[in-house]
Amino acid sequence: MANSPLVARPTDALQPPKSLPPSSGGTPSGGLPRSARGQQIAALARPTMDLMEQMNEDEKNKYIKGKKLGEGTYANVYLGHSRLDSSTQVAIKKIKVQKEYQDGIAPDAIREMKYLQKLRGHANIIILHSVFSSKDQNLNLVLEYLPLGDLEMLIRDVDHVRYGAADIKAWMGMLTRAIWWCHDNYVLHRDIKPNNLLIAADGEVKLADFGLARSFADPGVRMTANVITRWYRPPELLFGARHYSGAVDIWSVGLVFAELIIRAPYLPGNSEVEQIALICREIGTPTEENWPGVTQLKEYTVPSDVVPVAGKDKYMGRFGAVGSDGVDLLTKTLVLDPRRRITAREMLEHRWWKADPKPTPKHDLPKKTAGAEEKLAADLKRRNGMVEDDDVRGSKVARKLDFGTAR
Amino acid sequence: MARPLDPLGFEDEMCPVCKSRKYLNPDIVFVFNPECYHSMCLNCANRLFNDGPNQCPHAGCNKTLRRKGFRSAFFGDLAVEREVDIRRRVAAVFNQVEDDFETLQDYNNYLQMVEDLTFELVNGTDERRRQAEAQLQAWEAEHRADIERNKKAGREADEISRVRLAAERDAVRQRRIEAIKEAEAEKRERVRSREMELDNLAKGTTAMTAEPATKVQLKRRGQVNRVAETASNPAIATTGMGTGASEVERLSIRGLKEKPKAPAPQGPYDPFGGMDFAPSRYKLHGGLSHPLMEKYRLDRQHVAGGYSFDDFAARALYEAFAGLGVFVEDEKEVGSGIGLSQETSMAAGIAAVVDADKMDLD
Repeated sequence: MANSPLVARPTDALQPPKSLPPSSGGTPSGGLPRSARGQQIAALARPTMDLMEQMNEDEKNKYIKGKKLGEGTYANVYLGHSRLDSSTQVAIKKIKVQKEYQDGIAPDAIREMKYLQKLRGHANIIILHSVFSSKDQNLNLVLEYLPLGDLEMLIRDVDHVRYGAADIKAWMGMLTRAIWWCHDNYVLHRDIKPNNLLIAADGEVKLADFGLARSFADPGVRMTANVITRWYRPPELLFGARHYSGAVDIWSVGLVFAELIIRAPYLPGNSEVEQIALICREIGTPTEENWPGVTQLKEYTVPSDVVPVAGKDKYMGRFGAVGSDGVDLLTKTLVLDPRRRITAREMLEHRWWKADPKPTPKHDLPKKTAGAEEKLAADLKRRNGMVEDDDVRGSKVARKLDFGTAR
Repeated sequence: MARPLDPLGFEDEMCPVCKSRKYLNPDIVFVFNPECYHSMCLNCANRLFNDGPNQCPHAGCNKTLRRKGFRSAFFGDLAVEREVDIRRRVAAVFNQVEDDFETLQDYNNYLQMVEDLTFELVNGTDERRRQAEAQLQAWEAEHRADIERNKKAGREADEISRVRLAAERDAVRQRRIEAIKEAEAEKRERVRSREMELDNLAKGTTAMTAEPATKVQLKRRGQVNRVAETASNPAIATTGMGTGASEVERLSIRGLKEKPKAPAPQGPYDPFGGMDFAPSRYKLHGGLSHPLMEKYRLDRQHVAGGYSFDDFAARALYEAFAGLGVFVEDEKEVGSGIGLSQETSMAAGIAAVVDADKMDLD
């Protein structure tokens, strides 16, 4: 046990990770003078440091970094492959040192590593192969290489990509399974949207970008309400709820479902106020009757004209393509009161999956190859929804234009 | 087989049956039968086999030949002719393409196999040749459907490339015609402007007027070029793109066709994807309670925010039982789970974080 790096870690945490040679000056961050005692500690800590560095080096050498797929403000993405077997491709996400977090790892990188490790082993969640640090303490996440872009690309490319109810059912099945896996492992994803749903070479949809994920909070522990990209944000978060559950992800899943059907964002609000107004108009105004206690939420404000909660008929008109059962599932995911919203497990037990048409086998799902690589890079290097809400919207507009011209 | 250097072919070109030579009879045509690849002159072949099948006249060859089977050689060396025939036949049977294979390695192995077989057929002893022949026939019988499909695909690809070549030729011809027309128009224009110039001079106006005329002409030439470009290009662009796209599509479709070769037994769709997460060591009953939970159960913020106390209870139980049945020593040996080095590299980074707990704050 004494050799375990897990046990040795607490003592290392006192020291900067790289052991500096004595001639290069003291350790400015540690604030220790260049005293005999300081050097003694360094000497003591050194063997374990070297071991760690050695292990890191070994891990790093397992992969060969290839061409750059994309560069962003938050991370660069490279194509890479395993040194032993050049046919296993990986995407290496090299996280840049951020201004706000120069002394350590940015929280989203920590979240990503922590929860991807925790959730490994499900077919619908992107695999984190390894983590290593390269020079200048840059973090590198070795992720599964998913060459076929994301769902957003397929949804937006109305001219070239055609899909039907069976395809939607297959995609929704994979997405719901991913969420179910997260929730059954007590992890909230908190940023579900079509461009976080990447597509593997065999057509499997994989949930990626766990930069906003966290585990379920204990009662009384506050979580931030400022998560999930606005268009997919549930009303309880818009009202500033600090104690929420997996229901927030289910709302996003419902909106992705709706977007898959109508091939356009269902509730594209330009601001939070507008987002609430859109929800009230399309789904119904949250009131004490349909959501007990909602008026107590901190930022509860709704437009004055109260719209009754939409019935199934209203949804049938717009989302009828997935059949009556599909619309039933959709309405259940878009229930205003989070406690009455369907859970991931209940979603999977819904009768829609058993109804006709049968979900398309993953190999036969529509796919798009051109431009997928850039899309993967764009998805991985992007910052999470919380920080860049406005930029995300702006870039969406630009991307729409791009699709029109790049035919 | 060493043939003397004989560019005019006087020496060798002798019919072994009637002994007539090319030197004496320049019109002589040599034919052979692919049964045995023995050559003779056309006259002899007609004479010997006119009355139905007969034995090959070569000494020691007891093949029975028919008149119909005779043809003239494409290659001077009949050994080459024979090898080409064999290769053609083998290629017709083994007509898989690289796309049909999972990996390049498989494809290369296949090519090697085909080449070995071909070599046996061409150069093998009688015994081995018979064996290879049997193999070839067995394969042909076994994979008839595949062979047909590939043949058809090959024909289609040929058709596409033929159409594309034709379109390209057409475009080239069109361009040439355009160019000729343009040159003619230009010549006419030049003549006309010259006449105009002369007229102008005759009328006594100054050279100033002549200048704009050339300018106009130049301008027009540019325009003509541009018009010609747009006229000829769309044809190329559309045909080129059209065939290109369809070719690519066809290829990908063919790739897809290969995949459902092994159709997985399609059971009913399992929404859970074959996974189950039910706890094995305990059973979860609703209505679990704990003072920590009760304190918040009626809190308006928890109620309205949709906080799930059941999830909390389930998690608490799950975590209480989580370590049971996990033996660190076993996992160390097997090396399952996340590598230690990952932990380490994370630790190396985390070590520098002043307050690592920050990440759990929100």
